[in-house]
Amino acid sequence: MDNWQLYLLLLIPVIITVIYKYIPMYGIQIAFRDFKATRGYAGSEFVGLEWFERFFSAPTFGRMMKNTVLLSLYSLLWSFPIPIVLSLCINQLRFHRYKRVVQTVLYAPHFISTMVICGMIRIFLSPSGGLINLLLGSQVDFLTQSNAFRTIYIASGIWQDAGWGCIIYLATLSNIDTTLYEAAKVDGASVFQRIMNVDVPALLPMAILMFIMSAGSLMNVGFEKVWLLQTDLNKATSDVIAVYVYQQGIENAKYSYSTAVGLFNTAINLILLFIVNKISSKASDVDFI
Amino acid sequence: MSEVILKGLKKVYDNKVTAVHDVNLHIADKEFIVLVGPSGCGKSTTLRMVAGLEEISEGELYIDGKLCNDVEPKDRDIAMVFQSYALYPHMTVYENMAFALKLKKVPKDQIDKKVREVAQILDITQYLERRPKALSGGQRQRVAIGRAMVRDPKVFLMDEPLSNLDAKLRNQMRAEIIKLRQRINTTFMYVTHDQTEAMTLGDRIVIMKDGYVNQIGAPQDLFNKPVNLFVAGFIGMPVMNFFYNSKLLQEGGKYYAEIKGVKFELSEFQQKALSANGQKPCEIVAGIRPNYLSVGSGDLKAKIEVNEMMGAEVHLHANCQGDEVVMVIPTVGLKVDVSQGAEVSFNTKPELIQLFDKESGNNLIWYDEVSARENHPVSKCYKF
Repeated sequence: MDNWQLYLLLLIPVIITVIYKYIPMYGIQIAFRDFKATRGYAGSEFVGLEWFERFFSAPTFGRMMKNTVLLSLYSLLWSFPIPIVLSLCINQLRFHRYKRVVQTVLYAPHFISTMVICGMIRIFLSPSGGLINLLLGSQVDFLTQSNAFRTIYIASGIWQDAGWGCIIYLATLSNIDTTLYEAAKVDGASVFQRIMNVDVPALLPMAILMFIMSAGSLMNVGFEKVWLLQTDLNKATSDVIAVYVYQQGIENAKYSYSTAVGLFNTAINLILLFIVNKISSKASDVDFI
Repeated sequence: MSEVILKGLKKVYDNKVTAVHDVNLHIADKEFIVLVGPSGCGKSTTLRMVAGLEEISEGELYIDGKLCNDVEPKDRDIAMVFQSYALYPHMTVYENMAFALKLKKVPKDQIDKKVREVAQILDITQYLERRPKALSGGQRQRVAIGRAMVRDPKVFLMDEPLSNLDAKLRNQMRAEIIKLRQRINTTFMYVTHDQTEAMTLGDRIVIMKDGYVNQIGAPQDLFNKPVNLFVAGFIGMPVMNFFYNSKLLQEGGKYYAEIKGVKFELSEFQQKALSANGQKPCEIVAGIRPNYLSVGSGDLKAKIEVNEMMGAEVHLHANCQGDEVVMVIPTVGLKVDVSQGAEVSFNTKPELIQLFDKESGNNLIWYDEVSARENHPVSKCYKF
């Protein structure tokens, strides 16, 4: 044990992972039982796939699945490339002080809590004096319009997290050998050609990794934000599985049922993760799993 | 004609640090010039100014008669080989070599012809479809040279291209560059910190220190006629021996060098040169190359501290009254005891002694004030 200090350091995250990620998995069994707190996990009656069947036959199942998948898919399609483009733009800034200011301004929204963000969105979108309505010269209550919900959700997500998301790409770009840019300059490449031939290929492996990770949580629509922006009038597009799990599990105390729905969600995510990894590894020789 | 002229070139960074001071250099068409010096001497900065990768703070740069201070690198008709090869990692060798031509919108068939032609010269045809990561250091360096060659540039710039290679491969590549130079016959500017590379490759060498050019000259001139202590110490391996607290004496109209109490009557040429310069007796630093010392006889004495057996010769590190002396002695016919701790007598020929002024460090014979003042220092010429 030459490096026992390193093993000791490693022990801390391992213990935390086991306690908070693995031990709770024992509780997954309640998805297959009729859980009664007084009987405990093992003592509750085994019901097999009953809760899953009930979820699949629920009248809102189709709508929830469609909303969850579409909201995630659109989020991925819009939110995924923007941090890459942003990092490529920031990387071109030559004045370090200005660069730092731009980065700070872009990171800042990430540190605002979802609760406050949603409050701000409501104020911006208010039909009476909201910023967006003032700019458009209209008086529309966007949050009551189901066809506007996805745009609001995705656009606000980009505003909040694009700056933060580009950190990892900026770190990758900072590792590029500067002589590559110089070689490209001597070769006669324009700024755009340097980006396309030096920056983008360097970002590709990281972008694929991020894409796989994002695709792996395709079904994990953030519950809080949807819940806070949801109104009765936009439910047609804002009714998603995460909110349903919360309603069933916490509000209605249907622990077994909500666990089954959550497990279904996770299983779909896992399958998606493997599919995307397979496709991307074939497309780019990069295999992360 | 692709001559390069540097007129009073200066580089001052934003933090007011001057990296290059007033460099004046005239590189003739098809000349191979080597910029050499220790780290931070400004050689790479000078090259980068020629390449257009660094802004020129002051002075003028002419390439092929055209003022190029504000010309974009791509329009200077230059090609550069970098120390780290700077090959695009996602491109194949072929794509790397074709990239510049592709950007120039050269027809595909011409690109293909050119790339394959150069690949054949450099013996990398079999690697054309490989990515740089699948190549060895030497192969990558060939690709980097090939990428520069396909452009048929007026000036070839090389920034320490062999520094990342191991000693054996470096020697091999050095020979390849010499052959390549004969083949492509264009103007070369080559930066290195390795004096062996400089000596073997350059038609002329520019020695730099602290942003100043210390001497410009043919390799043999730099070796035999160093203008100051720095050049004398930098060129030659092992480095020149310096005997501090030596004296230049003048007795009966003749000059003598006194080293460690031993008087050497200087050669006829040295006498004439010192007289021509009106040299007065003074304190000097005497410099003698390790190969110019003969062991076994003479009035100079030294105690051997380290004995390095190199095969054909032995390098003796000895102490001569406080000054460290290195002697290179052939092992064939060696009759003297050169073991550690032994005391040896040694001698030299007076014409092989370099005489440096103790105060300024300038060579009393070869330092030329006029060229030094004009910032293109060369060894002084004599017409007796």
